[in-house]
Amino acid sequence: MKRNGLGFYLRIYGKILAQDLKSKMSYRADFIISTIGMIFTNISGFVSFWILFRSFPSINGWGYYEMLFLYGFSLVALTPVQCLFDNNWSLRQYVYSGDFIKYCFRPINLFFYYQSEVFDIKGLGQLAFGLGTLIYSWTKIGLGFTPLILLKMTVFLITASLVMAAMQNAAAATCFWIQNSFYILDLVTRFKDYAKYPITIFSPVFRFIFTFFLPIAFIAYYPSLVVLRPDEVPLLSWLSPLIAVVFFWLSYKLWMRGAMKYNGTGS
Amino acid sequence: MKLKRYLALTRAGIIEALQFRLGSFVIVVGNLLYLIVVYFLWKAIYASAGTKVVNGMTFSDTLIYLVLATALFNFMEMYAVWEIGRAIQSGKIVLDLLKPMKYRTYLFWSYSGSFVTNFFMTFLPTFIVVTAVTHGAVHLGLNLLCFVISVVMAIIINYSIDFIVGTICLYTESIWGINIMKQVIVLLLSGATIPLAFFPDGFRRAVECLPFQSIYNAPLSILLDADPEPKKLVTTLGIQLIWCVVMTVISKLFWKASLRRITVNGG
Repeated sequence: MKRNGLGFYLRIYGKILAQDLKSKMSYRADFIISTIGMIFTNISGFVSFWILFRSFPSINGWGYYEMLFLYGFSLVALTPVQCLFDNNWSLRQYVYSGDFIKYCFRPINLFFYYQSEVFDIKGLGQLAFGLGTLIYSWTKIGLGFTPLILLKMTVFLITASLVMAAMQNAAAATCFWIQNSFYILDLVTRFKDYAKYPITIFSPVFRFIFTFFLPIAFIAYYPSLVVLRPDEVPLLSWLSPLIAVVFFWLSYKLWMRGAMKYNGTGS
Repeated sequence: MKLKRYLALTRAGIIEALQFRLGSFVIVVGNLLYLIVVYFLWKAIYASAGTKVVNGMTFSDTLIYLVLATALFNFMEMYAVWEIGRAIQSGKIVLDLLKPMKYRTYLFWSYSGSFVTNFFMTFLPTFIVVTAVTHGAVHLGLNLLCFVISVVMAIIINYSIDFIVGTICLYTESIWGINIMKQVIVLLLSGATIPLAFFPDGFRRAVECLPFQSIYNAPLSILLDADPEPKKLVTTLGIQLIWCVVMTVISKLFWKASLRRITVNGG
């Protein structure tokens, strides 16, 4: 039995996931309320757009349905981060209390084991809402439906997910150096709310910042252009899958670096 | 002397808040980013609208409104739901209940310290910058006094809503979901994310009948109205006062009725 193959890790993931779901199911009310809460957040984003577009026909050349498309795209792209990487939020507590040391003694990839421990089911509510928004705006714009467009969609949704996951990993990893990383994690999480606006509304300076320093534009804008406006796809959009992989790899390295220098609390 | 024991809690709160300076720094950075996004978003919106005044608000009116709403949010947000929820989950609530002070009062005054620090560290600087930058768009006169009165009532209404929602945690034992629902509803329906003036007519009239608009919309519209009609001013403050009393009474009664439900696992 190979100890480091993909199949091995998938099997382990399945087992850990089953345990996590079992323990979650003992708090069924919490699950239901959290899912409703999640959908509330999404509806409020939807209502904000609706209110804005009642007073204004378009924003910077972007119509109501195009904005909804961006919004739906960002929601779907955020689902993997929400579901698979949610344990990042607890990292600072594990590090602070010293419990993190238990992860260091497992004969499997530390990052994988840590993230696999929690699967956040309420993210699925967001996925459903995001898909709904996406399909609704898709049909209203009349984008058509071909295997090619579906392939593009999948690739670029994964791209966007990787970027957001990268930002969250990096933010969570700061707790290895500073004690309270909550504020940084919270800050990065707020970025996803800005991802739903087209980057063209910003001045060139901030366009640059939001592309290269805080890659907010890669969460929805650049990847979705490929599907939304296929006639004017900038080079950055085509490059975005590559950039996303690099970002994710860097964040993984940073996370592991922090974990490797972790000394425990001595208790 | 009764006030003295309350002020002791205020003092403890101030000292505690000053401990987390890094947190405050990140919050300031986060707000700056948020304001940048808001600035460019509304600039694009107004540029697309083609007219200077939309729904009776100019671009600078809207911007001042939203900037001060953010400042007000940072100043008033207490995370009381989390505090109550965690105290219930950990059982710490028993110790709080034993204190020679009503729990509702105790919690409020232990937050009062962060009101003081947040007022001086976030609200006041923001207010001064906005006033200086906009050259007199904020009228400095009697409306400042009314604004202060209005904010005090807003704090009380906000706290009561938090306390009611926190009490619900006694029944559900779910914090995240309940809190996010509250936050989303309050932020959207109070006019903190989009000024109420932009809401479609029917929707706005419905929202005006709810207590939420008294939290952000009421104080901000009082502040921005340079030449208020006395009748309008009295109505706004009067409605706030009514909500203040109603929400306080509801939160007190609800807490009293729910207190019997507390179950704390031994230990």
